[in-house]
Amino acid sequence: MYRFFLSLRYIRMRPINWIGTLSIFVAVSALILILAIMSGFLEKSREHLRGHLSDLVVAPSFDLPVRQTGAMLTREVQPMMDTVLAHPSVVAAAPQLVWYGMLVPPRREGVLSDPSSMGMVMVSFVGIDPQLEYAATSLRKDLEIEEKHLFGARPDDLDDPFAYPKNYEPDPDERPLDTILMGESLAKAWGLHKGQTLELATATIDPETGAFDQTANRKVLLAGTFRSTFNEMDLQRVYMDRRALGDWLGRYDEYSQVVVKLADYERDAETAKVELRRDLAAQNVLHPAPESLGDPDYPWELLTWEDNRRSMLAAIENERALLGIMLGLVLLVAGFGVFAILSMMVSEKRRDIGILSALGATPKGILSLFLSIGGLEALVGTVLGVIAGVYAAIYIDPFEQWLSRVFGIQIFDRSIYYFDHIPTVIEWTGIVAIAVAAIAVALIAAAIPALRAAYLNPVDALRYE
Amino acid sequence: MSDSSPLIQARGIQRSYPVGDRTLEILHGVDLDLFPGERLCLMGASGTGKTTLLNILGLLDRPTQGQVHVVGRNGWALSTAERARLRNAHIGYVFQFYHLFAELTALENAMLPAMIQHGPLGYLGKRKVYKERALELLHRFGLSARLKHRPGKLSGGEQQRVAIARSLLLDPPIMIADEPTGNLDQATGEKVLELLFEEQERRGLGLLLVTHDENLGTRCDRVLRMVDGLIQGEERHTREAPSEAEA
Ligand SMILES: Nc1ncnc2c1ncn2[C@@H]1O[C@H](COP(=O)(O)OP(=O)(O)O)[C@@H](O)[C@H]1O
Ligand SMILES: [Mg+2]
Repeated sequence: MYRFFLSLRYIRMRPINWIGTLSIFVAVSALILILAIMSGFLEKSREHLRGHLSDLVVAPSFDLPVRQTGAMLTREVQPMMDTVLAHPSVVAAAPQLVWYGMLVPPRREGVLSDPSSMGMVMVSFVGIDPQLEYAATSLRKDLEIEEKHLFGARPDDLDDPFAYPKNYEPDPDERPLDTILMGESLAKAWGLHKGQTLELATATIDPETGAFDQTANRKVLLAGTFRSTFNEMDLQRVYMDRRALGDWLGRYDEYSQVVVKLADYERDAETAKVELRRDLAAQNVLHPAPESLGDPDYPWELLTWEDNRRSMLAAIENERALLGIMLGLVLLVAGFGVFAILSMMVSEKRRDIGILSALGATPKGILSLFLSIGGLEALVGTVLGVIAGVYAAIYIDPFEQWLSRVFGIQIFDRSIYYFDHIPTVIEWTGIVAIAVAAIAVALIAAAIPALRAAYLNPVDALRYE
Repeated sequence: MSDSSPLIQARGIQRSYPVGDRTLEILHGVDLDLFPGERLCLMGASGTGKTTLLNILGLLDRPTQGQVHVVGRNGWALSTAERARLRNAHIGYVFQFYHLFAELTALENAMLPAMIQHGPLGYLGKRKVYKERALELLHRFGLSARLKHRPGKLSGGEQQRVAIARSLLLDPPIMIADEPTGNLDQATGEKVLELLFEEQERRGLGLLLVTHDENLGTRCDRVLRMVDGLIQGEERHTREAPSEAEA
């Protein structure tokens, strides 16, 4: 009984013991907050990395014959779309025609241009069917942007984003212009406004010989801008109507790839990949296996968005692991706090330990007395730390604003990031792991002085006053 | 008295400490018996090894040579836990420096041996009984108004009385007191000793008392004189009443 009684009493009567509790409390709450913020940032980075990417992208390698049969793949879009949409996990699919070229913005006073690019920007032209695209990707949401810049402007009619802006008067003498949509940041970088005309330039390939044709230029009209979560992509992507792009390029390809939206990505992605490959190969719109395209390990032709961002996602995972190690170090420091306080206490309480021995306490009992002190300190620190950490993670924005006000510096500069509040994610498994680890570390740290106490010679302990 | 079996029987006790690369022998082979109801005084100059001997007899310190039987059991042949139980139930200690817990009240200090004897459930079941016993002792020792005081708020004499109450809580047959008045002024020391003797009488304790006070010799049944780690003489007395009346 004395173990509980004395450990409680010691903790209550000796304020210094709260330092151990405090170190655990600070470590646990800081860890939970850091974990929540880092998870929030990592999740945002994932989102950011994903950008406009759909769940799956099917991009047939048209130019390679199928190894087993020697046949070429069908270039028609319909068999591809039908087969993809027939799969039960697929909710939407949209064909895209992708081509590369330059954007030649009109020269304007006061707009700096990079001399090496001669005022041109490398972009990819993506030909889409707006309604299908809306269903399969985040494009519609990306177009519905809040118009906060002078240069950002959504198309007048979201249902027909390639329609002419309302106040645009087509020149009756010229061929009607095609319209494009571009990233808001690209428009801003070049000082382009909705309704302005600009030139696109590319080289086309002769369908018969495969040789590069003359360069092809086309005057187009900017019908609106979009803003995805992946800024780099916004800077190099221009959407056009798929048929208009095909017509300009004179391509016999109807599409380059099909983007696919799944009902539940986390659940279905891996199986859908395998099944779609099988179904599509049977229709001769895809090669039967990645092996027939060379590297068997690479997810050729049929890629999830994670496959597409593999190396960057790996970097995020790496960051997570690094974070884990750093957090472990914080716990170690907290453990050291418990160790130091308890060591001090054992030294200070030598006499009490001797008395306990004389009164009939066993070494085991004395061991558990000091372990209970460490454990209680850790438990209180952990419980309070979890509460404070979760609370701080939930109310991070007011908390940060308060800190900013008090210290007069901007801790979280919202203009740097794409989000206007600090992202946090509360991961209960992580929190439980932190709590368990904190208590375990504290007990291990407490065990050393506790063992010293248990094996203290009572005679030595009682000798001096 | 010597026909009943001894509470403590020590034979050939030697104790040496390593000091540097030599060993320093403090006790050179001590034999001692303590019988039930006996007041045994141990006298001797400072540094002759009285405390060392008491620690060995009280099963706190292991002798280099020799055996100690406490209530018939070979103390140093027992397991650590059994020896601890033997100390808890059979030996009450009173130290020169009281050795109370600064964090506990007088009452809690007095009840500590019961908390050590029992687990939480056993203790909570009997808490009332022990509390009553502790209260009774503290009342008898004139500490009724000091129950909730911590040692820091008590005088030396009061602290030693709490320590005596603590040593008696579990009603042990043996009491070991190492210069219990050594830290008290004359008058207070007298009162504490009076109380100790009274309890010894009432309970028929075997009391082993270390003291410097030559006057006390006549109030003990036997006096052992210790010189340089050996017992050199034994006197037997018939007890006298207190020689001087207190003020
Ligand atoms: N742990 C130890 N190491 C070395 N010497 C010790 C130790 N404990 C006691 N002594 C020595 O043993 C002698 C007897 O000590 P003690 O039993 O306390 O004497 P007493 O109680 O008679 O005054 C002293 O000289 C003391 O210095
Ligand atoms: Mg001594």
